[in-house]
Amino acid sequence: MAYVATRGGERAIEQSERLFREAMGKIDAARVSEVKAALPYLVDRVMGEASLYDEDLAALALTQTGGELYEAVLVLRAWRTTQPRLCVAAAVEQDSLFTHRRISAAFKDIPGGQVLGPTLDYSHRVLATDVLGGTPFDPPRVEPAANPAPAHQPSVSAWQAANDLVDLPATDGAAGEAIPDLTREPLLFPAKRAHTLQSLARAETGGVLALGYAAMRGYGQAHPTVNELRLAEAEVMVKHPNGTEFSAGRVKVSQAEVVSKTGDKLGLGFAATFGWNEVKCISAATLDLNSKGAPKGSPTEEEFFLYHTEGVEASGFCIHFKLPHYVTFQSSLDAMRDAKAKPVKEPAE
Amino acid sequence: MSLANLTKPWAPMSYGFLDASAKRELRRKMIKSVCVPGCQMPYASREVPMARGWGTGGLQVSLTLINPQITVKVIDQGADDSVNAASIRRFLARVSGAPTTLDTLKADLIQSRHRIPEEVLREDQVLVLQVPNPEPLRSVQPNMSIARQMHGDADYGRMWLQLYEQIVRSGRVMQGASYPSMVNGRHVMTPSPIPRWDVPKLHMAKHLTILSAGREKRIFAVPPFTRVEPLVFDDVPYRVEDHAGLTCSRSGAKGFFMNEIPQSDGTSTYEVSDSEYGVKSIRQRDGETLTMGETWYKDGEMPQ
Repeated sequence: MAYVATRGGERAIEQSERLFREAMGKIDAARVSEVKAALPYLVDRVMGEASLYDEDLAALALTQTGGELYEAVLVLRAWRTTQPRLCVAAAVEQDSLFTHRRISAAFKDIPGGQVLGPTLDYSHRVLATDVLGGTPFDPPRVEPAANPAPAHQPSVSAWQAANDLVDLPATDGAAGEAIPDLTREPLLFPAKRAHTLQSLARAETGGVLALGYAAMRGYGQAHPTVNELRLAEAEVMVKHPNGTEFSAGRVKVSQAEVVSKTGDKLGLGFAATFGWNEVKCISAATLDLNSKGAPKGSPTEEEFFLYHTEGVEASGFCIHFKLPHYVTFQSSLDAMRDAKAKPVKEPAE
Repeated sequence: MSLANLTKPWAPMSYGFLDASAKRELRRKMIKSVCVPGCQMPYASREVPMARGWGTGGLQVSLTLINPQITVKVIDQGADDSVNAASIRRFLARVSGAPTTLDTLKADLIQSRHRIPEEVLREDQVLVLQVPNPEPLRSVQPNMSIARQMHGDADYGRMWLQLYEQIVRSGRVMQGASYPSMVNGRHVMTPSPIPRWDVPKLHMAKHLTILSAGREKRIFAVPPFTRVEPLVFDDVPYRVEDHAGLTCSRSGAKGFFMNEIPQSDGTSTYEVSDSEYGVKSIRQRDGETLTMGETWYKDGEMPQ
């Protein structure tokens, strides 16, 4: 037999990538802008999970991957991690957020008011099939309220704390480089508070929902009451090397506070993320609420839910099972065959 | 002095893809892991342009160690031409300009998924093993923080119990690949899912082995000339796969770890798993003069 090298691998992987990209067609800036304009909530979700706030890059990642969400987030994360960190923005206080939507299920009315804002919550979920028939859907104009809602509100938990219903966590004075950064340090348990909130902020929406829902259905001890759900914009305040503080722009953020009765006080769960993503924030805050004292290995234990809602890791590991495993498999077969060949001695009665 | 003099020209990415702070983190944790052989060191594992679970841990180590003078070899399940090995090799070459090779003897740095080459590695070579699950205790303790404490206490009782139960139930230790091994008499580590055939190659080896799990963010090492002893009972010896008597149907090489190839008539043929060793054997058989390295196993036996 002559020497036949099997070096088909490199060519095969190149062609398989081409096959995928060819089906996607040409990508230009116009297509990316269209994705950005048409799918803001998807762009938000991807920005949150990538922990990178840039609508153009997120839209590009979505376009380039054909909407394969895990791929889109991975592309963004891999890009993000190589970027230099120029500075750390000032902490955002809740009452400085520019609120678009803010609701509380705990009280009929709250200081600062209930602000319904943009939502599909009360819409009838009817598919607009007319659009496909050639009749464009042109949404009716919004009629502004006579009295605009205030742009800034206090948090509901601030009122509860003033009434001795809840103990707010102590203010964390860490600022700038002193803030623990999950992307620059390994996650260890018990996790630092900053790491927990950062992990939840970039967790995969579906994963957080699955485990959060498990907690809501009864695998957690605490049933959440949505104290406050907020969609807002936050000013990103940074310091110029010459000392001037200025706003580098605004980012869309969402946050949720959930509470539950624990003894004579309310337990508090919190989560926030880049972009507007209500399901993720409520689920993540529910997990946070349930994590205190959760049994090891339960879905509401911090180590359990933080590890398993990390979408880039989870999806990567899942698809790695497509890789050849024949060496490992061969090793198991060897042990199995040998065990089978040997009669097992029955234990004496 | 102008600003241009103080800065480097713009480049889309750093040399070797990872930025300086990521490389520093890797170097610090590699040194730490060499200092405490077999002990898992948590590290800030960065995202790389490859999916988690596809060798991102090994890749970060390779990207940190690489330079244009280093020759790189990448293998997956023993094969250089496996699709993922090809992809990693292409990426390493693309971001570093380092030359690549398929020949174990010519490589300075070998990144491997689940095999150690059959030819003996030298003092000047570094082996980087990709690790899916760095925790040998995972099967008895899935909680990482508790497992970490168990390592701290050298509390390996449940590990031994598991092996004992396998012997009682099945008449032998059923562990296939990733055989738990004691390193330097202190830390139990998983050698990564290399077959049992390869574990003795780590014991008192001349080369440095770095094991890196990118998804799980743990790095550990077997420094040169370090004891790596599979966990076995005194009266139940360690057994590698029963491949000593098998012959490669393509190269005629005998006494190495094989891939079993099922045939349509219900039988199997075998191919040597270390693909480049197989290729070299064929070329030598066909009359080419080339250097075959010394192998760890001789006639299917690993000398003690």
